[in-house]
Amino acid sequence: MTALESDVQPLTGPTRALDSRVRLVWAGQALVTALVVAGVVGTVAYALEGLLWPAALVFLVAVTLGVTHAHLRYRRWSYRVRESSLSLDRGVLTRVRTVVPYVRVQHIDTRRGPLERATGLATLVVYTAGSRGADVTIPGLTPGDAADLQTRLERLAIAAEGEEAV
Amino acid sequence: MRLDPRSVPYRAGASTARLLWAVVVVALTSQLDERVGLTLAGGVVVLFAAAATYQLAYYRRFEYDLADDTFDIRSGVLSRRERDIPLRRIQNVDTSQNVVQQLLGITEVRLETAGGDETEAVLQYVSAAEATRLQDDISRLKRGDANGEREEGERGTHPERETVFAITPRELFLLGVVSLDLRLVPVFSVVAGVLVPSIAVSTTPFGPMGEMPMSSMVTSPLVAISLGTVALYALAAAASGVVTATNYYGFRLSRGPDELRYERGLFQRYTGTIPLAKVQSLTVDANALARLGGYASLTVRTAGYAPGDTEGAQSAVPFADRERVWALARSVEDLGEVSFERPPRRARTRYAARYLIGLALLTGAFYAVTRLDAVWGRWWLTAALVPFVPVAAHLKWRARGYALLDDHVVTRNGFFLRRTTVVPYHRVQTVSTVQTVFQRRRDLATLLVDAAGGSGADARAVDIDATVAEALRGTVEARLNRALAARREQRHRERTASLTDDP
Repeated sequence: MTALESDVQPLTGPTRALDSRVRLVWAGQALVTALVVAGVVGTVAYALEGLLWPAALVFLVAVTLGVTHAHLRYRRWSYRVRESSLSLDRGVLTRVRTVVPYVRVQHIDTRRGPLERATGLATLVVYTAGSRGADVTIPGLTPGDAADLQTRLERLAIAAEGEEAV
Repeated sequence: MRLDPRSVPYRAGASTARLLWAVVVVALTSQLDERVGLTLAGGVVVLFAAAATYQLAYYRRFEYDLADDTFDIRSGVLSRRERDIPLRRIQNVDTSQNVVQQLLGITEVRLETAGGDETEAVLQYVSAAEATRLQDDISRLKRGDANGEREEGERGTHPERETVFAITPRELFLLGVVSLDLRLVPVFSVVAGVLVPSIAVSTTPFGPMGEMPMSSMVTSPLVAISLGTVALYALAAAASGVVTATNYYGFRLSRGPDELRYERGLFQRYTGTIPLAKVQSLTVDANALARLGGYASLTVRTAGYAPGDTEGAQSAVPFADRERVWALARSVEDLGEVSFERPPRRARTRYAARYLIGLALLTGAFYAVTRLDAVWGRWWLTAALVPFVPVAAHLKWRARGYALLDDHVVTRNGFFLRRTTVVPYHRVQTVSTVQTVFQRRRDLATLLVDAAGGSGADARAVDIDATVAEALRGTVEARLNRALAARREQRHRERTASLTDDP
């Protein structure tokens, strides 16, 4: 076991926060949502009463909430690559702490949405066979970090082999 | 091996029948003289002939073979496909027969593996005897594989199977009575929407206002809705009861060396295997009605079924005495004594607050309805429910519990539908603690222990102390690692032992 531990040790790391630019991604998503909601409210208000200010108000409130949430979410988010499991801590209103043992990792993806590509970020998705689906994602990584983390987690998953994943 | 030849006419007939609606439409929309009738009949014959030709080709091209460690299928008329499934990966072998197939004596066989959204291999159709042979041989070969040795003498002999459970007519009847399929409620709500106003009018002994016209004599939305709910429940229970009773007609569970095997169904016969080495989680369910009579049901989850598949297929015991259900659960997973830890008492106030808010919203909605003049009623009657709030909160709190045993996590939740979930540590996929805003106010958290096997496979310890939940998350992870190490060790020992035993 000690041989394995010394192999695994360099792959682990301290608790890490996300890249601060992830706030831009989340704020951008909030902006899109706010535009859609304001558009709907505005159309209805204009059609019924000929008013324009409800749309502006809804937009402002939604954007303020979204940006605040993005900031708080970024401050709450942290992950840690430990020796036998990946641990995540996240959530503003509902706080979720998850442990993903490497023995259960099926495969690992990185993906980049349009907003992420614009900000130069990537998301890592860790798949398990659990009933809660492919829920384990780490957003806000630089492409280099994402690739590095992907390789590390893959090697850790291989080192933890010896038991069927399901 | 080939499929059963009787599958050719059956499949041709089935595919023709699927197109018959077109014939029906033509027959209904045109004048039915002799010429049209003959043309239609001729069309059906041509259709059947074409289908039969294709099915004959399909039959001739379909070959399967059960080798020592793989199941091989070669199939396809236009595009050919060859598929080898390692036997070790097969989770379940299920068969089903509808009424026509029962008469013809043919059976559909499905092989399930853990991955993917659909069944790995489907044999349409083989003879009933061949289906049983496949189930027996696959489990025998898997077992031989697991032990690392294969004895020639064992071939062809059937391992001893003992029936561990057979449903009695009484249990089948009670199962029908207590099972409420909520999926049927939307259908009945349409019916009830028409019926309830007239029921409410005819059953109201007192008119709120003597001069009111009949249509507005509904005393209160509360009365109308509770009556409607009762009617809805009764109708849905009756219909789903009949469906459940035919589904579980003749249910029998037998136990082989490494697996459980069930058979059930009146119109549609099902049999299936549940490999004990692949069990992901166990759930014991009992709704309030079943608990009253001391009954429960047991579901064994393996990873062979994609989420969204029918859950009934994995049901190990649909309805039986609670003690028997637990005895069977204990024979699948060695649990020992389970004593549940309740959430802290302060969790109760959450439920009380939740119900009060719900009641307030309901009252508000009723008030709005009466204000709209749609119904004339006593909207404030909902206040009569307030005294029940603490009782309901207490019952909800009492139903919850968790236990961390030596090898398993056990959690229990729900008053109306009580579900006890057992997850062995070595099957744990992820462990989480979740804290909502409201839980944080009372320093509570929920521990989620996730296993594979579709929805309902995860154990939840809801509203336990936040510090305890945090500690338990670490405990479960540590025990997972310990359990995996122990299993590796044991497998290694078994392998070494089997090597030294060999001459």
